[in-house]
Amino acid sequence: MTASRTPVRPRRSGKGPRERTVETASSLAITVIGVAFLIPLLWVVLASFDTSATLAVSWPQQWSLGNFAAIWNTETTFRPLANSLILCGGATIVTMVAAVLCAYPFSRYRFAAKRPLLLTVIFATGLPITAIMIPVYSLFVQVNLIDSMVGAILFLGASSLPYAIFLTKGFMDAVPVEIEESAWTEGAGVLRTLRSVVIPLMRSGLAVATIFTFVGMWGNFFVPFMLLLSPDQLPAAVTLYTFSSQYGQVAYGQLAAFSIFYSLPVVALYLIMGRSLGTGFAAAGGVKG
Amino acid sequence: MSTTASAARPEAGRRGTGRSRRRAGIGDRLSLVRALPMLPAAILLLAFMAGPILYSLYLAFTDKAIRGEGAADTSFVGLDNFARALGDGDFWNAVVLTIVFTTISAVIGQNVLGMTLALLMERAHRAVAFVMTSIVIAAWILPEVVAGYLLYTFFADGGSLDAILGVVGLPKQTLLFSAPIIAVSFANIWRGAAFSMLVYSAALGAIPGDVQESAAMDGAGPVRRFWSITLPLLRPAIATNLMLITLQTLSVFGLIFIMTGGGPARKSQTLPLYMYEQAFSYGQLGYGTAVALILLLIGAVASLVYLRLLPEEDKR
Amino acid sequence: MPAPMRPSPPGRRTFLRIAAGSAVVLPLAALAGCTGADRDPGTIRVAYQQFGSGTQMETMLRRVSESYTAQNPGVSIELVPIVAAENDYFTKNELLMSSPRTSADVVYEDSFILLSDVGAGYLQSIDDQIAGWPLWDEIAPASQEAFTGEDGHVYGIPVSTDTRALWYHRDVFAEAGLPDPWEPASWEEVLEAARTIRDSASEAAPLFVFSGKAQGEKASMQGFEMLLYGTGSTLYDEETRRWVLGSQGFEDSLAFLRTLFDEELTLPLSQHLDPNISETIYSTLLPEGRLGILLDGSWISRSWAEGAAGAWPEWSETMGLAKMPTQHGQDPGSVTLAGGWGWTIPQYATDKEAAFDFIEALCAPENSVLRAIEDNHITVRADVAADERYLGYSPTVGFFTELLETARYRPALPAYPEVSAAIQEAMEVVMTGTADPAQALAAYGDQVTGIVGAENVQEEER
Repeated sequence: MTASRTPVRPRRSGKGPRERTVETASSLAITVIGVAFLIPLLWVVLASFDTSATLAVSWPQQWSLGNFAAIWNTETTFRPLANSLILCGGATIVTMVAAVLCAYPFSRYRFAAKRPLLLTVIFATGLPITAIMIPVYSLFVQVNLIDSMVGAILFLGASSLPYAIFLTKGFMDAVPVEIEESAWTEGAGVLRTLRSVVIPLMRSGLAVATIFTFVGMWGNFFVPFMLLLSPDQLPAAVTLYTFSSQYGQVAYGQLAAFSIFYSLPVVALYLIMGRSLGTGFAAAGGVKG
Repeated sequence: MSTTASAARPEAGRRGTGRSRRRAGIGDRLSLVRALPMLPAAILLLAFMAGPILYSLYLAFTDKAIRGEGAADTSFVGLDNFARALGDGDFWNAVVLTIVFTTISAVIGQNVLGMTLALLMERAHRAVAFVMTSIVIAAWILPEVVAGYLLYTFFADGGSLDAILGVVGLPKQTLLFSAPIIAVSFANIWRGAAFSMLVYSAALGAIPGDVQESAAMDGAGPVRRFWSITLPLLRPAIATNLMLITLQTLSVFGLIFIMTGGGPARKSQTLPLYMYEQAFSYGQLGYGTAVALILLLIGAVASLVYLRLLPEEDKR
Repeated sequence: MPAPMRPSPPGRRTFLRIAAGSAVVLPLAALAGCTGADRDPGTIRVAYQQFGSGTQMETMLRRVSESYTAQNPGVSIELVPIVAAENDYFTKNELLMSSPRTSADVVYEDSFILLSDVGAGYLQSIDDQIAGWPLWDEIAPASQEAFTGEDGHVYGIPVSTDTRALWYHRDVFAEAGLPDPWEPASWEEVLEAARTIRDSASEAAPLFVFSGKAQGEKASMQGFEMLLYGTGSTLYDEETRRWVLGSQGFEDSLAFLRTLFDEELTLPLSQHLDPNISETIYSTLLPEGRLGILLDGSWISRSWAEGAAGAWPEWSETMGLAKMPTQHGQDPGSVTLAGGWGWTIPQYATDKEAAFDFIEALCAPENSVLRAIEDNHITVRADVAADERYLGYSPTVGFFTELLETARYRPALPAYPEVSAAIQEAMEVVMTGTADPAQALAAYGDQVTGIVGAENVQEEER
């Protein structure tokens, strides 16, 4: 299966007129779709530089940084973003550490419960987290974890763990065992082997998994919306909602500016990762026959 | 974790698996000490995933509430919550809307558009394809709340869509109020098409070029080639993709919550929003949990189907 | 191309075994122990609603806490502004009060949610505290009652009350050729005025009535109940102690709403569904003369007060007031509803005595006068009402205070918030045209029966 796969179909050299027509028509079609997708994105960019922005996309009469200046303060922007960073950064660390540790035995040893355990993990990746938020909320009230950043971090971390384990195990499987064996014979323990041999070899894979995890958490609204209550603990996802319900009809430009601040980290991560993020998805579900 | 990212498979994980596919690792039996690194993950999963699920099995049979009766002391009510759900028109309204939402936005919208984009991407001029797919991916990478707000402004009274309709001389639309489920479905297509596109584009890339070429030499036209060669080869990818986007769409909350709040008059209230409203706006935690449990069951069934569709390699 | 691999079905039995194995739930509580309660006993946390651009509450709290902490070294006041619209505020507040970790020590509550929160055990009685607080007797009996639970205990200190009427824009009226002063004697006359504005050269939207779920309690109280209580029907029969279903008045009130939309006598539906519309009305539509008539509360002029974000000094000349007439002008001719807000102490307050001490500071005579003026509210206190500054602060205070004499109150019952939600839903299906008034009435009946039980409802005799 693996062998039969060619990553990119080689482009036929020398295009005939027929190919050219297909190419032009396809380019045209994809442009139409792309432009349709672009309009809302264009709105947020243009509106953020337009202090008299309306709901419709339009070229600013006067370009201004006024919207950014208006939200350039701790209350509106910095604290929510810092909270997002603490929440998502913390949860990403929790997830990745637990995932790497868990993936190692999965990848390296054989045991009777391995397959059912792995199946359970994969099964859990499909469960709608939305559906367990109400019991999680009630449970957190019971055990006094509600409105606790630590509690939210642990839950968010746990909720993306199944998928992270699955990903990490895949990357780890690709690390040849032979190299490790020498480390083992030198008497290194599991943790040291992991740290000095396995992790360096799967660095790029881990980066992809970490970024997936982080990006997913960064966009998550429901979890912090349910688990965090105090205004000074709320991450950007939730304050954007309160801001929009509070001023959404009056301060479009500021909302657009805040949306941009809030989206910037994930967009930047995507740009840094470039297509390799896409490639990460290249093998996405069901690609294999 | 937002469900959008939850379907990627590590490419690297597969690369070279042929080489290292030796069953015997370093000491191939798992001992207690060797299992120790699995402990943090096990604790987290048991406490925060299995725990709440089990707790919901209890909660769904009680009258636990945030305010009024059932808040001060909770009592068992047996199957009352489920009976109430099944007898409640609003619950069925939510079920129907969930089906509509999933069908329009995932099964039809994201799936077909994703496939179309993937096919076009292969044929279009490279630079054009790159720019356009980047836009589509940008829509997908944005946080859910931002996407919701952007699409709200797009469909709003006097929003971008109205402006465009005005330019071509068409009357204003009122989708957010007259057919909000359509508006949120479009929003979900906008947000999710990139995922299917990436899945299909990867799957198309895996089809050997010579298969297509030999068919072309046999005189099969592009449409015929697509139906009789490409599509059958893509079938497993389509099945898995459908399961994944269905699962993702089932748990969409923020997008709808921001755009319409489930309204007006419950016309875009899918199950997650109904569950939230009952549990929080109306304070009926027990009843809300019963609804959540039903949603979880639907998700679990879909997840099991997905599990069966997954290639065997991934399960070893 | 090899044939696609058929995944073998997951071993169902093994799967079940794992699922059962995971049933060993870990004691989460041990985890919670690490985070523990992090509340500082010397801090008094004060929760209040912060929504829109108004900051009167924050200004007042800062002022009082500054002087309070100066007098009480070692105590600090932490403000907990809850940024949420109408209904969300109450829910969020309840969520916060439900846990000792998150509960505030002093909470600003609307009287309509109070009994529900008392029923849920979120609030504590302050009987002992008011016994030693001389100003309690200055509070109007109706307000005292509103903060007394079904068990006879007092659960809060009432601060303000409010009444509702029709605000009209004199410029719009002049343009449409409508009289000033305007004294509509029936619903029909209100609608006629609205039609006149619609058909006039004025660009203004004729009439706005808060409706639908997005407006929360505003829709129920400022909107629906201002209509219903003018029909002779009622929500709750005090004598039989049952909720009234299927009433003609209920249906007529919904029909009134339907008329507004059918005849385009109001703002577009999209604006009605915007939870933030009140802000738009106060800050833009009225000052710009783009709305003719608004059915709203006594306090709204605070958005236009000097120093407020939307200061509009001309409001007192521009805005006229008319009593809301009963349906056909039947006795007593006009209708208003009164509500009110006050300070309460949650069950999980760290130090009840300290919390009440701070409430005392908030309710001290001088501050109460200032607060009433800043907030443009109607005081519930005789001593405040006697203050000259209070009497002269606004041209409207006399009008609205007078309305109190005939004011109606919402059913003071724990189930009211849920019934109120059902009302908002009935309004919403009618205004969106999803159902006609009769259908909405029937659906309301089903819902209320579900909320309070069949033994607590009765059909109105028609």
